[in-house]
Amino acid sequence: MKRALLTGGSNGLGRALADLLLQRGYQVVSVDRSGGAAQPAMLHVTCDLADRHAVDRTLPAILAAGPYELAIFNAGASATGRFEDIPLDACLRLLAVNAETPLVFATALMQAGAVERHLCFISSLSHFTGYPGAAVYAASKDVVAAYAKGVRKPFAAHGVSVTLACPGPIRTAQAERHAPPGADAARRMPPEQAARAILDATLGHRRLVIPGAGPKLFALAGWLFPAFVTRQMKRLIFDRLDEAVW
Amino acid sequence: MRSRLLITGATAGIGLAMARRRAAGADLLLTGRQEHAAVRDRLPPGAAYVAADQSSPEAAAGAVRGALDRLGWDRLDLAVLNAGAGHALDPATESAQSIRVTLDVNLAAAIALAQTLLPFLENASGKLVLVGSTAHRGAPGFASYAASKAGLDGLARALREEWRGRVAVQIVHPGPTATGMHEKAGHDPGPIGRMFARPETTAARIEAAIASGRSPVTIPFARYAAADSLTTWMKR
Ligand SMILES: NC(=O)c1ccc[n+]([C@@H]2O[C@H](COP(=O)([O-])OP(=O)(O)OC[C@H]3O[C@@H](n4cnc5c(N)ncnc54)[C@H](OP(=O)(O)O)[C@@H]3O)[C@@H](O)[C@H]2O)c1
Repeated sequence: MKRALLTGGSNGLGRALADLLLQRGYQVVSVDRSGGAAQPAMLHVTCDLADRHAVDRTLPAILAAGPYELAIFNAGASATGRFEDIPLDACLRLLAVNAETPLVFATALMQAGAVERHLCFISSLSHFTGYPGAAVYAASKDVVAAYAKGVRKPFAAHGVSVTLACPGPIRTAQAERHAPPGADAARRMPPEQAARAILDATLGHRRLVIPGAGPKLFALAGWLFPAFVTRQMKRLIFDRLDEAVW
Repeated sequence: MRSRLLITGATAGIGLAMARRRAAGADLLLTGRQEHAAVRDRLPPGAAYVAADQSSPEAAAGAVRGALDRLGWDRLDLAVLNAGAGHALDPATESAQSIRVTLDVNLAAAIALAQTLLPFLENASGKLVLVGSTAHRGAPGFASYAASKAGLDGLARALREEWRGRVAVQIVHPGPTATGMHEKAGHDPGPIGRMFARPETTAARIEAAIASGRSPVTIPFARYAAADSLTTWMKR
């Protein structure tokens, strides 16, 4: 049976990715902080992905449960508010979950030969702009994006394709928690739609996927006029945030 | 009043070159990994120094904070976060340890320092400058190093807007420079290494970038030689 490794498969985009993988006949190993609903063909591994020691303790079991046809590094957290209002400890945990752990997982899988064909790193549309109001989150997502671009060639030499996914806002509980008051949830993409685009791109060896037409245009605008678009982000998000949330 | 500057990673290479350029006109606080006694001889006379190993980000920021307090400085006109390190290797063989140290030294410590330094910079309407790298778009031979520098770029893009009107934020991405970093990273650039910019040249380019107020500023490889000869030619 085809096997897939997924981090953060119990909620939001990860949940939609898990459902889609199951539908397509994969056995899914999902790594989460809190576990998740039991399902046939789905194995939950509990691990706090912000905790180095926990990651090191759990990795051997995750590698042993492979080999995987593909691995998707989806688990991520956010922290919004003024940079200086977010406690350093929360900043460091955020960096660990969003940036360090996906890189550590990727090299561990490569070294063990535990991933056979595809890796996908989930970054963010903020990679094309800037994200005032989520400075550390934005930094962590840029780490993942540059890493995915860097390893594409060397990993291809081992027969593994690398896809960078930069989704825009998705309709999840996390987005809800971090959006400025009054933000319009209807404009966020349903997770199922983003999951489909991301999985298809991963299986299709694509270098980059930005699900949806609106986000693609936004990325293009950010690429052409980075300073202008980042200032708009400030107006739309930073200036409207009323409290720090992490 | 003389301006007060902090330069991290000022015991070698580009950071040391910047410190030497500035020593005559400003009060300096310099940092590095090593103890003061080991580096005293090469630092500009009169510069204050504190050992702040950035592989422990929180402790490093604490050490800098302690040094500022001991000096009795309540303001900083300029902080250049320049300390950095990495490993040249096939990313498929990189250890977890190497990834973690690279991200801690280059990115997490910069985040910790930026939080610590904000009140000092704000008191002087000062400037925070992050030293990135032209590798920040992704590099197969130093994937985690390049990724950490991309993280700095993302941090700078956000902070520049968040702190607008309070503290100016800039990121400068230097190109290949002939410092000890390549050897420490286990990287032999080969004959092309002879074409790398001198640390003094890169330090001067970074200063020009700081003075321009722009961000991000990239200092590409091919431009060093060209810019040098162009300015000479223009002045004739
Ligand atoms: N050289 C290049 O081609 C190049 C190109 C683009 C960007 N850069 C960037 O420019 C900056 C300066 O690099 P460089 O070429 O001048 O390198 P360098 O000669 O190796 O100097 C690096 C400085 O950072 C310090 N440092 C290293 N690890 C540290 C740690 N864990 N804690 C505290 N300080 C630490 C070093 O201290 P020690 O003396 O103890 O090692 C040294 O003072 C770095 O951020 C680098 O990434 C360099």
